[in-house]
Amino acid sequence: MIGLKGTLNVIDNSGALLVECVNVLKNKVNNGHGSVGDEIVCVVKKARPISAAAQASVSAVKVRKGDVRRAVIVRTRKEIRRPDGTIVRFDDNAAVLLNNKREMLGTRIGGIVSADLRLKGWSKIVSIAPRVV
Amino acid sequence: MKVEIDSFSGYRIYPSKGKLFVRGDSKVFRFASSKNASLFLQRKNPRKIAWTVVYRRMHKKGITEEVAKKRSRRTVKHQRGIVGADLATIAAKRDQTSAVRQQARLAAITKAKTEKKEKEAKKVKPATRTSAPSGPKVSKQQMKGGKGGR
Repeated sequence: MIGLKGTLNVIDNSGALLVECVNVLKNKVNNGHGSVGDEIVCVVKKARPISAAAQASVSAVKVRKGDVRRAVIVRTRKEIRRPDGTIVRFDDNAAVLLNNKREMLGTRIGGIVSADLRLKGWSKIVSIAPRVV
Repeated sequence: MKVEIDSFSGYRIYPSKGKLFVRGDSKVFRFASSKNASLFLQRKNPRKIAWTVVYRRMHKKGITEEVAKKRSRRTVKHQRGIVGADLATIAAKRDQTSAVRQQARLAAITKAKTEKKEKEAKKVKPATRTSAPSGPKVSKQQMKGGKGGR
């Protein structure tokens, strides 16, 4: 249940470490809470420092602190009910950054993700993830 | 349908029951009920909670059927021949009936007796010849004379 001001860890290699949710993109409602598989608009609160050399050379996108990006939620501390009745709860809230076209910014994912992503159509993320529960 | 087992107590978890918790280090824990979940999150040690499977196994409760099945192994002895007598002779000697043994004994006795008689006969003859020079039996001390004790 990620809403306004909710913070999430970023688990891909896009450079961001912590993002704060600004808006949940769900059915034209501004208020509301996001769960696993929902797209959110977020602000990068903490990012990995980018050296000057890396800035110029590396083609991969690296985000900076203060960037406004989109992300998809992959883990929540609030339980999720699955169609078979299982209830799954993670230990933290986590997200993966995206661009405006629902494509991943990073290339790798470090950590476990929820299998509910597959049901919501994020199979690309599920395939890259090292572990899916 | 897969029946899972509870990570805390060892109970069986049927589908649509219980909770699944994924910890920060990506380790998965399954709980059959909120009781198990709560105790786990309070960091209780299942080895000390008396109704868990871990505790019962550790304290060997209700496990008598499994223990009784264990049987001891017995070694089988094999007869072997030795250098002096191979297996056939040992078997032959062992299988002799008592009648045969008795006969053998008698034969041995008679043989010994005849031998003894022969020996005595031989002894008597030379004894009569050599007795003359020996003379009357005198004690050594008398022969020596000597100091003549008191």
